[in-house]
Amino acid sequence: MQANPLWYKDAVIYELHVRAFCDSDGDGAGEFKGLTQKLDYLKDLGITAVWLLPFYPSPWRDDGYDISDYTGIHPAYGTLDDFRTFLNEAHRRDIRVITELVLNHTSDQHPWFQEARSSLDNPRRDWYVWSETPDRYQDARIIFSDTEQSNWAWDISSKAYYWHRFFSHQPDLNYDNPAVRDEMWKVMRFWLEMGVDGLRLDAVPYLVERDHTPCENLPETHDVLKFLRQRLDRNFPDKMFLAEANQWPKDVRAYFGDADECHMAFHFPLMPRMFLAVNLEDRKPLVDVLERTPEIPAACQWGIFLRNHDELTLEMVTMDERDYMYDEFAKDARAKLNLGIRRRLAPLMEGDRRRIELLNGLLMSMPGTPILYYGDEIGMGDNIYLGDRNGVRTPMQWNGGWNAGFSAADPERLYSAVISNPLYGYQVVNVESQRRSEHSLLSWMKQLIGVRKSTRVFSRGTMQMLRPLNHRVLAYVREFENEKILVVSNLSSQAQAAELDLRPWKGTVPIEMFGGNPFPRIGDLPYLLTLGPYHFYWFRLRRL
Amino acid sequence: MAETAQLSDEFLRQLSAVGEVDVLVGIPTFNNKDTIERVVRAVQIGLTKYFHRDRCVLINPDGGSTDGTPDIFKNASVSDFEIMLTSNPLRTFHRVSAPYHGIPGKETALRTMFVAADLLRAKACAILSPASLSVTPEWVESLVRPAYRDNFDFVAPLYQRQKFDGLLVKGLLSPVVRAAYGSRIHEPVASDLGLSGNLARHFLEKNIWDEDMTTFGLEVWMTTTAVVDGFKIAESFLGPRIQPASQFGQDLGGTIRQVVGALFKCLEMHESYWLPRTGSEAPPTFGFQYDVALEPLKLSTKAILDNFRSSIGQLVPVLESILTPATLADIRQMIELPDRQFRCPDELWVKTIFEFAAAYRHSVINRDHLLQALTPLYRARVSSFILENVKAPPAKLDQRVEQLAEEFERQKPYLIDRWNAKPGGER
Repeated sequence: MQANPLWYKDAVIYELHVRAFCDSDGDGAGEFKGLTQKLDYLKDLGITAVWLLPFYPSPWRDDGYDISDYTGIHPAYGTLDDFRTFLNEAHRRDIRVITELVLNHTSDQHPWFQEARSSLDNPRRDWYVWSETPDRYQDARIIFSDTEQSNWAWDISSKAYYWHRFFSHQPDLNYDNPAVRDEMWKVMRFWLEMGVDGLRLDAVPYLVERDHTPCENLPETHDVLKFLRQRLDRNFPDKMFLAEANQWPKDVRAYFGDADECHMAFHFPLMPRMFLAVNLEDRKPLVDVLERTPEIPAACQWGIFLRNHDELTLEMVTMDERDYMYDEFAKDARAKLNLGIRRRLAPLMEGDRRRIELLNGLLMSMPGTPILYYGDEIGMGDNIYLGDRNGVRTPMQWNGGWNAGFSAADPERLYSAVISNPLYGYQVVNVESQRRSEHSLLSWMKQLIGVRKSTRVFSRGTMQMLRPLNHRVLAYVREFENEKILVVSNLSSQAQAAELDLRPWKGTVPIEMFGGNPFPRIGDLPYLLTLGPYHFYWFRLRRL
Repeated sequence: MAETAQLSDEFLRQLSAVGEVDVLVGIPTFNNKDTIERVVRAVQIGLTKYFHRDRCVLINPDGGSTDGTPDIFKNASVSDFEIMLTSNPLRTFHRVSAPYHGIPGKETALRTMFVAADLLRAKACAILSPASLSVTPEWVESLVRPAYRDNFDFVAPLYQRQKFDGLLVKGLLSPVVRAAYGSRIHEPVASDLGLSGNLARHFLEKNIWDEDMTTFGLEVWMTTTAVVDGFKIAESFLGPRIQPASQFGQDLGGTIRQVVGALFKCLEMHESYWLPRTGSEAPPTFGFQYDVALEPLKLSTKAILDNFRSSIGQLVPVLESILTPATLADIRQMIELPDRQFRCPDELWVKTIFEFAAAYRHSVINRDHLLQALTPLYRARVSSFILENVKAPPAKLDQRVEQLAEEFERQKPYLIDRWNAKPGGER
């Protein structure tokens, strides 16, 4: 891989679950060998980085986020050698690899916790957060509200309560203990030395607890991150930390620090507002959240996304927005989980290809690094009848044949049934079919990614919002160095006209980026554009 | 789709940018700088509180204000209310102000609003007076909700009025509408009302916009047309109604000419509907009704009576061509009563009004002159009502108003006889 300390700014990231991607050994679940076989697919799509969900040894009570060994590979996914092979093959194709680092908690099966609970005197006792009563930290909210009644769980062995912000089988590590910090740095070092390019720091706001606080975003948490970042910069200057901090933009800002904490952070509040804006046919939710998004250090980057492995979180919206989202997108109550909606992109858009394209167009043109969720590039469906978030983690649909081409195993042996309904079933929605047509969603996504990557304006440019009178039209100009791109999107189901004040760019010629056709030169008068339902334009503004 | 010649290019441009809406609220203005900001703020808060998921627009057709009213409309801010609002608007709030084409006046403003409602395919509309001092955000909900969510078409307001306020409405307009049309609408000439988009479009399609009707009393026409054309009527309680202070009698003649003239013209237009009708019914009422203590209007009955006596003498020859001899004789007797005993009985008042209506229909004299002649008689009636009820509590007053309305209904056959009588019959 070419050295490029800012590679993450220009990346197009693809999030996938190793278990769900490709099964090469017929045991019914994907593994690294299978994933390695599919790297050409990702390369062809235009992906430049993959983010892997946890693949470490785990009892799998939270789909791998409950880790029992930080430096191993779960046998179901292969061996460390398999991982190294995958890593090398990815790098050979100029695809970087981002892995999960679940900093906040371990599985209760982790040897550290087993030792910690064995006696009060054990050296690892203080690696976790204990209390004799469940009364401390009362101001902390319960995150998995559907399943947990408390952030404290009683440990019958050591007759004390331990702290857990997530499931009760995921005890929180105690970052007030320097030994914990040192050990987690060793874990990081292990993977980074192997060649991993970035680490997604799961649940990072919750690292430290203090009484009379909500136990989120505390200054001490940032101290931990600065500690880790210092070591990263000293030893691995081209690696990246990606913070998972589901907070308001002004609170997420802190996770960048002064470019001395995380390189990237997810922009959680932006995501539901893309859905809101398209459903309301009104740019207001997007404009509001972008106006509230603070400046970040030049070397830092937002990670933007439409969907991921979790429920579509509605934590960072108002109550009215949440109610509206539930009413519009979760008409079946089974689709609701915790404070979110556990559906994939295509079902959320009711299979409307135009809306799917529009949302991806927004994703690829807004400030930040886009992160695609596996399967959304072909419009995969979901299964809300599966428990927890498993309905959005079903096997990748490669073709219309046996087990969707995911596995040669007996269908009953699959870790999860493939989607097989008439709308989104693998017979209809699969990579092989879509590869055959240049008019498929997959082909379109490939073209979209290609156009995005043709310029650095999208990945690094500024954004100036335009405000045409027509609120159904979202328009902004991205600029980087001497390049300018005008993005105009019709958020509504009906044709729209919009007059844009483009006088600052007077004299330039808009060149539509997908077809390459020039549009009339910009003059003094308002620039009139008409757009079909859910249509968008990307124009390169050139002085000709 | 209605003709859009009504809309200026700028107005049309702004409306095109708004697109389809669910709720349209209109505030027609002409030099209302002292009150418009309050009304706009109340509307915006009301739409945010009660219709935060819906596509809304606030429209201001302005008749050419010279006091800065349109600028105040555009700039009225609710930022100090944002932290008090429990709802956050999901959508862009549109506020559109533009002068309208045509003859300045409320009728042109309303027509402009109806054209806008048609263009934007509004599902429900509300019209609010720019001069109201008692408007609250809840007025928006009260007027819009029955049309938007409960499938009513015409939502008339119900106010708690100050004592002796609205006597023309209570003593003439409302009971005539009740008796003739069979609908017990309390406020048939309201400047605050709600209507469905369908009704707005229906009004637009009527061929009255270039007629004389539009120079006065459009509110009466809207109310009676809604009844006649079978639209669903409701009333909605808004609470106290306080208007800017004005002197009683200020341009009373002009007011009577406008609204009573419109009422009589509507009777003429709709005679095939109301002539055969009997009885009346109350429209459904929305809202929790409550009373607050309101300062009564201070009116000088002596001044009103003096005005009556000084003008009635000259009008006797005119009244001879309008009223029957019996009615005129009763009026002459009434003139002679001393102030303290001055009374205009309900029966006499009702007969007078009905004879005037019939005379209007038969155009026994110039209609403007006819209506002018009613003015002093109305003053007489007002004086009588006040003298009789000066100490009456609100409930008693309501009873008296109801008794009067029943008398109008009871005498409807008399109206029909007079209406159908050939001109030249008994006078």
